[in-house]
Amino acid sequence: MPSVLESVAVVEGGRWRRGARRLAVAAARRALRRAGLTPADVDLLVNAGLYHERLLGEPALAALVQDDLGANPDDPHPGGHGTFSFDVADGSCGMLTGLRVADGFLRTGAVDHALVVASDADPGRGLAPGFPFAPVGAAVVCGRGEGTGGIAGFRASTGSPPGPTLTATVAFDGRRNRLTVTRPAGADAAAGALAGDVAGALLADRGLTPDDLDLVVANPLTAEFLGALADRLGVPPARVGRPRDGRPVHTAGLAVALEAAAPAAGLAGRTALLVSGGAGPAAVAALVLP
Amino acid sequence: MLTEVAAEDERGPYRARIAGVGRALPPARLTTAELMRSTRHRTRIDLEHLTGIRERRVATEDDSLGLAVGAARDCLARAGRRAEDVELLVSCSITKYRDGLVHWFEPTTAAAVARAIGAGRAVTFDVANACAGTLTGVAVANNWVRRGEVRCALVVSGERISGLATNAARHVRSIASRELASLTLGDAGAAVLVERAGEGEPGLALAGFTTVAGHSRLCLAAPARREPGARMSTRARAIHRVAIADTPLLLREALDAAGLEVTDLDHVIPHQTSVRAIRTGMRTVAAALGATPRNPPVVTVDRYGNTASTTHVVALVEELDAGRLRAGDRVALVALASGLEIGVVLFTVDPCLEACRAVRP
Repeated sequence: MPSVLESVAVVEGGRWRRGARRLAVAAARRALRRAGLTPADVDLLVNAGLYHERLLGEPALAALVQDDLGANPDDPHPGGHGTFSFDVADGSCGMLTGLRVADGFLRTGAVDHALVVASDADPGRGLAPGFPFAPVGAAVVCGRGEGTGGIAGFRASTGSPPGPTLTATVAFDGRRNRLTVTRPAGADAAAGALAGDVAGALLADRGLTPDDLDLVVANPLTAEFLGALADRLGVPPARVGRPRDGRPVHTAGLAVALEAAAPAAGLAGRTALLVSGGAGPAAVAALVLP
Repeated sequence: MLTEVAAEDERGPYRARIAGVGRALPPARLTTAELMRSTRHRTRIDLEHLTGIRERRVATEDDSLGLAVGAARDCLARAGRRAEDVELLVSCSITKYRDGLVHWFEPTTAAAVARAIGAGRAVTFDVANACAGTLTGVAVANNWVRRGEVRCALVVSGERISGLATNAARHVRSIASRELASLTLGDAGAAVLVERAGEGEPGLALAGFTTVAGHSRLCLAAPARREPGARMSTRARAIHRVAIADTPLLLREALDAAGLEVTDLDHVIPHQTSVRAIRTGMRTVAAALGATPRNPPVVTVDRYGNTASTTHVVALVEELDAGRLRAGDRVALVALASGLEIGVVLFTVDPCLEACRAVRP
């Protein structure tokens, strides 16, 4: 049975809530509430965010989110089902890749409810001067569908360099470690073109065309990405979303676009394409059917 | 516990098997005595006695990517598979160093490995789950193969993690130091080929994991503030206590789900932190479950140290090459990692995996 997106929530950083972990936790709480679930209902927690407090390499941020959320954090005991948490990293495609991983465990019945979170914010401690992304956290709750509607399939591709691509590295500059994010001109357009190809192939797999879609949810919400995506899909730019002003949203961007396009009601009864492109270039697309 | 059992029903019509393993060990050895002589402070710690670690490998040429690529090539060569056949490639390391100690967040390490080995059609992404990363990747690959999403998946990890020991050697003052565990780390690459099993083959019976997140802050690693690379703070005794308390129950749950007894297990390969921790842990499991596996737990930490997310595969290759793993043997890989992650992967060695030892790259 296809899995279904039960709820989505986005929390933007402000003066008092800036750390990526806190943003993810706040978004997770909101998404669970909207889905009518409690943290204890979460069987699988996947984090796809990349830039969080101190840039911790271990444990997985998902484990810290699980703890903060209170999702079965206690020692295992008979009758308890626990929560399994880990991170995936796939740049701005991470949330879709996280959904793909969660969808797999939902389909085999290994889990009943999965929570996919993504957030990025300045990691602090002077680690990332000029951090380029907006502080935003997002969460999506997925469950096992009862009918035929839901996530019908995914497709992904990694493009071939050389070509312009976003890069993000931490290196020692002689005094301290620093995160450097470079976004060369043309990187979003290259990712958008690849995303268009991947999305087109996914639709073709199902015998669909862009005209069959009720909704396109795309990330990142930059003019270059959306323009190249629309061009490659052969649809007017307005059909793939409106560019967002200000600093770009990174891994949480898909949820931002999703919430803007299909608030509260989710995707029930609609044919939707979810598509992301990012560093590599790489692209992932998912098809949701009514 | 998230448990996926090979049931071959409509939700997971196929069975997965571990068809190949490979590793990359840097040639340079660093003995514990040499490492302890390099500490800035006079520590009076007998680390070798405490941990049983005599030496570990340290990469002087390779970085995380190089170790992952080396292990991937070793795995494919041993298994006699082509990179073009790989449909999913997941990289699971904690360290993602390229070009020295430059940690790459984006693009993914998995894409770089796929490009280096020529796995051009593979779906690529990274998984991060501390020292349970590789087995988490195996759990994901098992799920994708079981559903028929892919037929052939390669899970890799390259850990050039000995830099944490180099940093810790500047800061450790006594046995109470929270950086003591960093001194046990060694470098290695690992790769596991997970593919669709043939009709009637036992393959991968179960992957089960849980995160005891109430203990998620017991081991934290992050980029160092004023040194290259990273530093790690570990409350090793507390982790050991939790592992001792929680693992027997979870192993029992996994065995029950797979319809097995502990006496059905031929080999148990635990995460390699120290000889003493492994032996104490197995004694506790035996006492709790009332029986022991057919063989003592596999120990490689004495030779290679704690190679983070690669320990199980380093040990698997060691056992295969020594002829101690035979087709039909039942193996339990037991993960323990910061998070606090506890996981179990149960599989039966099939002839294809046993044959991996005969073919040297």
